[in-house]
Amino acid sequence: MSDILIDDRIRDWVFLPIIIVMFMIQMFRGLLTKYMDNRKTSQKVTSKAQLAEMIDKNITQQSQRLARLHGLLPDQSFKMKRAHLCDHESGILTKASQKPAKDPMQSMSMMNPAAMADMLKQNLSGIVFMALQYQWVSYFFSGFVIGKVPFPLTQKFRTMLQRGVDVQNLDVRYISSISIYFVLLFGGLQKIQQLMFGDDNDEFVDDTQMQMQMQMMGMPTMPSLGQQNDPGKLFIAERTRLEGVKHTFELNKSQDKAMKSLKRFLMQ
Amino acid sequence: MEEPKIELDDLEVNQERLKQNTNQLKNLRVYGSLNAGIIAGILGMDGWIGIAIYVVIFLMVSACLAIKMNFKVKEYFRSSYDAYYSGIGTDLLLFLMIWVIFHNLVNIL
Repeated sequence: MSDILIDDRIRDWVFLPIIIVMFMIQMFRGLLTKYMDNRKTSQKVTSKAQLAEMIDKNITQQSQRLARLHGLLPDQSFKMKRAHLCDHESGILTKASQKPAKDPMQSMSMMNPAAMADMLKQNLSGIVFMALQYQWVSYFFSGFVIGKVPFPLTQKFRTMLQRGVDVQNLDVRYISSISIYFVLLFGGLQKIQQLMFGDDNDEFVDDTQMQMQMQMMGMPTMPSLGQQNDPGKLFIAERTRLEGVKHTFELNKSQDKAMKSLKRFLMQ
Repeated sequence: MEEPKIELDDLEVNQERLKQNTNQLKNLRVYGSLNAGIIAGILGMDGWIGIAIYVVIFLMVSACLAIKMNFKVKEYFRSSYDAYYSGIGTDLLLFLMIWVIFHNLVNIL
């Protein structure tokens, strides 16, 4: 099949506009998320269930921090902290693990309005723009060939890449406009946006990528951590982990380490 | 790039500096794939040769990184795998996107 000549006007009025518009929408979405993040003040605890959840989260954070940084504490204080958490009768973890398993309906944080608003905002800056762009592209620019991909593909890709073009036997390399949309979407306009916005925004960019993946799976998943249906098991696991920690105070080794690094420095 | 003091103990890796180093590396890799895409697109490379160009440029970026670090990987990153080879799949999509765009702009349209 010989080469197809594509009109210049397709490049001017279709190819470049799609790229420019998608890029602008991506930037706009970034600014929007940044703006909304700035407006979000710290959440107030509004109900008893949320308070209990906060307490549980704090307890797990405390025990995880202790398990990770135990080398910074001298022996006596580590033992005291561990006993405070893991003691057989009065430790916090044992008490917490004896609570009954939470009702799954209750533990869904759809019940409190703050989390609902959060989810709505995430959906807004995610799915809505994607759907809008798809509709726009497929309404205005369907039915013709827009370009060619440089690598050979199998026939299976024909339905995805040549939507709207009904010419049989057309080389699968020739693609329609909706496929440029997909290439831009998956290829990562986010990475380029990251370059533009600088380093202080990597947390929120990871967020949008993560939520895009979550939406791809088709299930709306809850973002927060403490959503276990059985928090008792979590606490029991934390307790066994803390009790198994072999504690050494790092200060005792510090002289040897200082000697080693001094030697290394002098040898250079 | 800043130099964290690294031993394999979690306490002694300077987290802030490691994070900054990995961010710089990510930016560097994005620039690398952008350039690779532009090269492959403009020169009109076809099929597997284009992907080979991407791998070549990726390895060139890693080599420049090694020279800049004076080959002392342990002082800047956690492991040499991390610094040299780790992100090759994720930036491949970016490369494909830029390649398709530039190939179309220059050669076909």
